[in-house]
Amino acid sequence: MRRILLLGFFVLASAIAFASAATNFSATVCCEKTQTGAFCQNVPSEVCASDARQTPTACESTSYCKPGTCYDSNEGTCLDNTPQIVCNANGGIWSSERPAQCELGCCMLGDQAAFVSLVRCKKLSGFLGLKTNYDPSIGNELACIAQVQLQDRGACVYEFEFQKTCTFTTRAECEGSSKSSNGSIQNGVFYKDKLCSAEELGTICGPSRKTMCIPGKDEVYWLDTCGNPANIYDASKWNDKDYWTNVKDKDASCGPLSGNADSKSCGNCNYLLGSFCRSASFTQTRASYGDFICADLNCVDESGKARKHGESWCLSDERRKLPGENSVGSRFFKRICVNGDVITEPCEDFRAEECVEDSIETTYGPFAQAACRVNRWQDCLAQTDRRDCENTDRRDCFWKEGVTLGNTTIDATCLPKNSPGLNFWSGEDSRVVCGVGNKVCVVKFEKDLFGNEKCKDNCECLEPGWESKYGEVCAALGDCGAKVNYEGKRGFKEGIQVKINGKIRES
Amino acid sequence: MNKRGQIAIFVLVAVVIIAVFVWFVIRPRLPPSLGGADVNPSAYMRDCLRAELPPIISKLSTQGGSLAPDNFMTYEGTNVQYLCYTSEDYVPCTVQQPLLTTHVAQEIRREIEPKARSCMDALVARYEQQGYSVESAPRSINVSIVPGSIDVVFTAPLTVSKENAQTFRQFGISQSSELYDLLMTATSIIEFESTLGDSETTYYMQFYPDLKIEKLKKDDDTIYTLTNVVTDDSFRFATRSLVWPQGYGVQS
Repeated sequence: MRRILLLGFFVLASAIAFASAATNFSATVCCEKTQTGAFCQNVPSEVCASDARQTPTACESTSYCKPGTCYDSNEGTCLDNTPQIVCNANGGIWSSERPAQCELGCCMLGDQAAFVSLVRCKKLSGFLGLKTNYDPSIGNELACIAQVQLQDRGACVYEFEFQKTCTFTTRAECEGSSKSSNGSIQNGVFYKDKLCSAEELGTICGPSRKTMCIPGKDEVYWLDTCGNPANIYDASKWNDKDYWTNVKDKDASCGPLSGNADSKSCGNCNYLLGSFCRSASFTQTRASYGDFICADLNCVDESGKARKHGESWCLSDERRKLPGENSVGSRFFKRICVNGDVITEPCEDFRAEECVEDSIETTYGPFAQAACRVNRWQDCLAQTDRRDCENTDRRDCFWKEGVTLGNTTIDATCLPKNSPGLNFWSGEDSRVVCGVGNKVCVVKFEKDLFGNEKCKDNCECLEPGWESKYGEVCAALGDCGAKVNYEGKRGFKEGIQVKINGKIRES
Repeated sequence: MNKRGQIAIFVLVAVVIIAVFVWFVIRPRLPPSLGGADVNPSAYMRDCLRAELPPIISKLSTQGGSLAPDNFMTYEGTNVQYLCYTSEDYVPCTVQQPLLTTHVAQEIRREIEPKARSCMDALVARYEQQGYSVESAPRSINVSIVPGSIDVVFTAPLTVSKENAQTFRQFGISQSSELYDLLMTATSIIEFESTLGDSETTYYMQFYPDLKIEKLKKDDDTIYTLTNVVTDDSFRFATRSLVWPQGYGVQS
């Protein structure tokens, strides 16, 4: 005689088929402007503003919302993926293909460089009061920067208002310039690697005890009496004639191997080591001369570890660290050390994003880099092969042995490594998702001649670990089952039900 | 003269000396005067408009560059304009404000123009009260946001004559601000958001030492706050891009 025991493991009250819960999608139109003021959106017709155009097709296919390049003739900048109507309405020039004005080239701005369009170069040169120096033949940013670094720099001596004066600049700026009445250079004579304060040049410029920061440079520089930068600030060299005559490299200046953060006497800051020229008001320390100092930009993280400026690392409020056992409401965070402050950047909520972290080796030691990236759990359940499941190039899943979901014959299941968060307090989504974790196990018993029952089929379902094993499965599916939240508090409900022959088992 | 009389005179002299001293200290802080030949229309216009600019810039900086945001999300009680937006899930956003610098300049212009005109009208009225003959031509205002400052130039040709004639053409105010660089960075972030659906803020901060970017993902929105750590100028805007709906994306 045979007896059948229907053992059911239910994650929520009932399972609803995916199909029944699927949204009835209404047809969308390309709407020129919605009632909320958003331009070029694929939305249901009723959301569209009454006076806006709408076409029953995707916006990419319409004439007015087609994305293209928007050219700003005033700034000389180009912005891709801009709908035609949005660009034109704001005074831009739209084109479906990237126009010639957006072609990039090397713009030299004194000892700085920018890889921009010609119009942008003219604009930037105008801001800095420089002649436009643009080379379209330089095809990438690195070559552009290298081009500028090759430029000779030195003292440019010229006559101004019957006085022999000087500007520290590039050879090209000095010899190619011809402006004068507005204070710029005329008929300049260039002295490579000489400072304007050099006595031998016989100009009105001389050493001073003032210092300055130079845009685009890390270090603090001495300032001469004409307002030109001299060498890197070194308090011990304030009256050194050679130091005020010849240009010295960074390596030949004080403290070249350290960042010299908060140093009173040395302004050889190093951005990669976490120091940068700033006004002394930024720090508690005052420099021996001048008002600028190498400010310390580095930080200390939540665990007391020293972090360099620009470093980023991951943090989570996750209470459990095993795969698929995420706490309800937990989230990943990226933390960044910037200018002495630690900024917290939350990744997408509901664990739609996870934080990944790695470290690169630099000449100054390891440098941590983190990023929030999409949690690729969506197709975990569809994987039936262990290698596919654990392929980290494609998805973020783990292989759990000894459990089966659905009609598969494989005694294992592929589950999300970081279970997705669910909006379980409203809607049907969580009922659908968690319902996937329901398990029905038909246990067959056989009675012998003396009436003793003996388990025949699916006897593992009666073993003590069976329920907890499937509890782990449903926990990995999302915010399902019996869970704790990110504060360590248990849910108000049981989360799971075990039914035997249709009757809820008393716990 | 008795002793009390002497003391009274000393006290009187002391009061006069203190009053003269106080007048010299306070005088530069008084509102510009239009009395007599010392009238300086440029200084008058500057002082009249100077206080107007900071609140406008502050408002624009926290509202995504619009004085009255239309397509916005609310953050800390403030409506923040979406500069890149999609109503769909799983797709990058569509650019909503491609010429951001120009737009912000126009917003400042729109807000400050009525005030500039009323300042000018007040100036003309005061001149006329003092018996000056005033001729003025059509006025226009131009706002430009450039690296390091925001410049407002009010072109209002004005000829005042009594015994001599004086002509003024432009009145300008300039406020030091790093808004230009912040707007250019915002534009770059919008380009990343519209192309890739997200942006990597760390790289910006590594390349620009004075820049701090705070990126907050709230519900389906991302709120960016860009700050210049040296000047404390900031600019905040919102995007909705590449939204991953919670769970399996099945909606009731």
